[in-house]
Formats: sequence, structure tokens, C-alpha cells
Amino acid sequence: MATKKTDYRTLSEELDGILSRLQSGELNIDEAMPAYERGMKLVKELEAYLKNAENRITELQATLQD
Amino acid sequence: MDVEVNVGELVALLNQTLDYAYPSVTVVGELANLRVSKGKWLYFDLKDDTSSVKFFGTVYMLPGPLEDGMLLKVAATPRLHNLYGFSMNVQSIQPAGEGSIKKAAELLQAKLAAEGLFDEARKRALPYPPKRIGLITSSQSAAYADFIKILTARWGGVAVELINVQVQGEPAPRQITAAIEQFNALAEPPEVLVLIRGGGSAEDLAAFSTEQVTRAVAASRVPTLVAIGHEIDLSLAELAADQRASTPSNAAELLVPDRRHELRVLTDYRQQLGRLLQQTVSDGRQALTIAGERLHAAWQQLSADELQSLRLKRQLLSAYNPESALSRGYAIIRSEQQLHTRVAQLQAGQKVTINLQDGQADATIDQIRPKKVL
Repeated sequence: MATKKTDYRTLSEELDGILSRLQSGELNIDEAMPAYERGMKLVKELEAYLKNAENRITELQATLQD
Repeated sequence: MDVEVNVGELVALLNQTLDYAYPSVTVVGELANLRVSKGKWLYFDLKDDTSSVKFFGTVYMLPGPLEDGMLLKVAATPRLHNLYGFSMNVQSIQPAGEGSIKKAAELLQAKLAAEGLFDEARKRALPYPPKRIGLITSSQSAAYADFIKILTARWGGVAVELINVQVQGEPAPRQITAAIEQFNALAEPPEVLVLIRGGGSAEDLAAFSTEQVTRAVAASRVPTLVAIGHEIDLSLAELAADQRASTPSNAAELLVPDRRHELRVLTDYRQQLGRLLQQTVSDGRQALTIAGERLHAAWQQLSADELQSLRLKRQLLSAYNPESALSRGYAIIRSEQQLHTRVAQLQAGQKVTINLQDGQADATIDQIRPKKVL
């Protein structure tokens, strides 16, 4: 159930941000609840990425031919 | 057959014969009398114990700085010049033999180091993990297979774009350089360039220590990761790269995280998120309890003040209670429920009721004596 634009780095950075905001204790419950839900969604997406994403290998035609 | 020709014809005839017999010769010999003229023309001799031959070329053919005494492998065509006599026209120059290759690499390393190509300050961080990799290697090599295997085992979702090049031999430096430039020239270049080759002899790895390849790596706008040979082999291209890996497999390890490790981290994150939410809830609950206590205390204070003020008001009120005046010796006189406060409201013979503090008495008015008004 990975999102269409799976970009591990971006999602992972967002998750780190959510964790540090929650850790700072600056969020009230109204803010903490959606942050938690978003965080759990990110964890799921990142796990799905790690389990499902495959590498794509293509060969470019070299401009220089000997 | 006796042929009579003039000098120009002789030169042409000999060159034609040489062209036909030796379109190109690779000569191995010791370098002597190396000389550069006008910053462009290159003159040197190759010699062995018994012979010496003159060579001519341009400085662009130099693989790097050279010194007399080095063993070289030079591809050249024999040519008779119409004025200056016989020489070999150089096509390519390579150091030959372990000693010369090492010496040439040392000279080149010193020159490029002096230019700052290997400076730590030039090194850029590689994107981690990259989404697009430009891979330059031979698609038939073990290095390629190792790299892809480790990359695939560790990570997914990476687009690898390969330019297949020869990683040794005379065309290798040109092909590798062209591949680096080709990736850099793409409208959307990959995030990192990976240049890899497996182990081999010093001569096999020589392409990666040429000035051409080293400069191309240093000049790449796309950050570079270079892994050539085994741990102990260190090529100049690796020194010029933003990051060096000890082997092609190690290159894959440095480029991407291990998904098994990441999965463990995510499991930790999941627990941490749960704990943090619980913490926020219990912090909220505690704040609520404190607020409740403060509210209660405030209410108690307020009601105590209110009680005190009520008590005072009651005392004040009771002072104004007419009944309390009776206890001080005053009387209230009424007739038919009407209160009499003036003698003018009375007449002789009228029946009235006198209220005292402990009861009532009925009486009749005998006489009225108003106060004299002055």
C-alpha cells in the first residue's frame, strides 16, 4: 500500500520531524493526536516501501563508441 | 629493378611503403630526452640496450607527467619527414611495467595534488539513499554483478542507469571520461555517479589513474563514488572522488542503508510513537487534575469570602429590624393593623394595641397632647 510517489528520504525526514516534535512536549493533545496518526501512517508506508520497492536497471547508449 | 626518383618522390614512396607495412606499431622502450616545445609539441626517444628511435607527438597524448628512464608502451606510425628525417608519430602513450606505472602515478599524483584536486574541502556528501544512480563500469564484469547484488539485497526503488565501458586497455580512459561527461550533460543528471572496477594488476587498473579520468572525476558536477580494485589498491580517480569505497560491494553498502536495519528502526519508531502519545495524554490528564484542584481551591476561597460578607450583612440587617428596638424599651402602637407614628393619627377614646418585646396589650386613648410646633 505504498503511495504513488514513494520517496523514502522525504517520508523518513517527515517521520523524524514528527517524533522530535512529540518528544519536545510542545504539542497539546489536539495536536499530538493527528501527529501520532500521521507518524503511524508514515511508518506503515516506509515499511511497505522497504518490503516491496524494487530497483530498476537501464542501460544508456554511450555517446562514445570505439 | 632500378628506379630513378627525385627526393620528394623518394619520401612519398617510402611513406607509402611504411603506411602499407606498418599502419601502427606499438613499441616498448625506455624514455629518454623528453622535451616539450612551445607548450604543445612533444619530442622524445625510446631506447633499449642497442637502439634508439625518435618519437614526435603533442602534449595532449601524455598520460601524465613522465620522467626519463621510465618504461613506456607507445603506439605510433613510422613516418619520414621531408626535412627532418625519420620519426615515429605518436598515437598514444602508456607507462609499461609495474615500476614505471607506479612512478608515473606518483608524478601525476603530486601534480594533481598541487592543483588541489584531492582536497578534502572539495568533497561533497552523497545523497543517502539516492533515487537515481549513474553507473559506469563494464556490464560483463564481476564488479558490476557484485554491486547490483548488494544494492538489491540492501535497498529498493533505486533507478540505476548504466553506461557500459571498457575498464582496461587503451580505449578505457576515453570511454570512462566520455561516460562521466555524458551523465553530467543529461538534462536531469542522476544524483550520484558510481565508477567501479574489480581487482587486477597495476596495468589493468591504470585507466583509473590517468590524468584524463582523474580530472573528469574531479570535474563532475554530479557527486562521485569510486571503487577500484581491492582494499589495498588506491587509484587517483578514487582520491579525486567525493567518496571512495574499498570494493564495488562496499560501494553499494555505502550508497544505501540496509532495509533489515531500517525495518528494525521503524519498529522502534512505532513503539516510540505509541509511548509519546501516551505521555502526551498522561501529561494532559495531570494538567487537568491540577487545573481541577486550582478551580476547587478558588471556589472555596470565593465561597468563604461570600459567607463572611453575608454574615456581616445579616448583622447589619438585624440592626435595622424594628422588633429589636422593642427590646431596648420602645413600643409599637397599632389599631386595626395600622401603624401609628404620630399623635395626629389618634383620637381620644380610640382603642389601640401596644406591642412590647414580650407581647401585646390593648389600651384606650384618654387624651392627646401634640408637641407645640415653634
